[in-house]
Amino acid sequence: MSLAPVEQEEASAGADASVDVPWITLVWNDPVNLMSYVTYVFQSYFGYSRAKAERLMMDVHHKGRAVVSTGPREKMEIDTEALQGYGLWATFQKDE
Amino acid sequence: MARGFQRKGSTYAAKLDDAERGVVLGLMEQVLDLVAPDLQPTTSGDPFDDIVAGLGSLGAGVSVAGEDQVPDGADALTERDPALARLLPTANREDEQAAAEFHRLTEHSLRTTKARNLRIAIEALAGAERSRVVLTEQQAIATVVALTDVRLVLGERLGLHTDEDVERMEAMAEELDPDEPVVYALAVYDFLTWLQETLATAMLPDPAGRED
Repeated sequence: MSLAPVEQEEASAGADASVDVPWITLVWNDPVNLMSYVTYVFQSYFGYSRAKAERLMMDVHHKGRAVVSTGPREKMEIDTEALQGYGLWATFQKDE
Repeated sequence: MARGFQRKGSTYAAKLDDAERGVVLGLMEQVLDLVAPDLQPTTSGDPFDDIVAGLGSLGAGVSVAGEDQVPDGADALTERDPALARLLPTANREDEQAAAEFHRLTEHSLRTTKARNLRIAIEALAGAERSRVVLTEQQAIATVVALTDVRLVLGERLGLHTDEDVERMEAMAEELDPDEPVVYALAVYDFLTWLQETLATAMLPDPAGRED
């Protein structure tokens, strides 16, 4: 399964133990959110290309969920809050 | 006849008559009542409005009872109102404590953000000259998000939890008397879906972006 690759780490590697264990932000499928709107959110919030945004949107639609960002826990919580602000069902968890 | 949103230069324009704008505005105001921090919904006396506010019964086999809506392991938030819980969903499905902590830290700001979007959208729609609705970029962003929250609440009241639920409801509505509140609610939901689709499509950013 092809999911979002790891984002560039801004913090220097090894400087913070939490960076060693990446966290992920997931978006879950729901019957209300529109495919066009989910694509719009992924492009607008993350700055992803249309192609990448649509790929992630189709993963949510067909696989039930998709990893939309990867990084330190604090950043994943920020992404989760922002995406919930858009009305998407976003969650964060350890990448396992 | 309504016309969906189209990009016009730096703005987004649609044509919605008084009745159509009235329905959208009424729902936005109800969701604002639901989501704005520290506000409780009040009965309006209108059966359809009360359904949306979670105070009336949809009937026709659709349950709005709390025990049928609240998922397992519900915390205080989900027990409050399933539609509000849908707007502020569990943020960690593996760690209940982390989810509770996230709710505690983000609930107020999320509710404030959603309320602000709804207020901007309401003001923009209420300010329409006759049937012509014109949104600036900022108003469009608030409106496309506000329409999502309204559809999430209405979808929750209609019991739409899976893609199959939507098909089941559409089929059921075909069989029912058009005067049934649930048939009207579903028609409104479909109208909002169409309206949001036109706005979201018109707002899609340039295809280029980062691939990393």
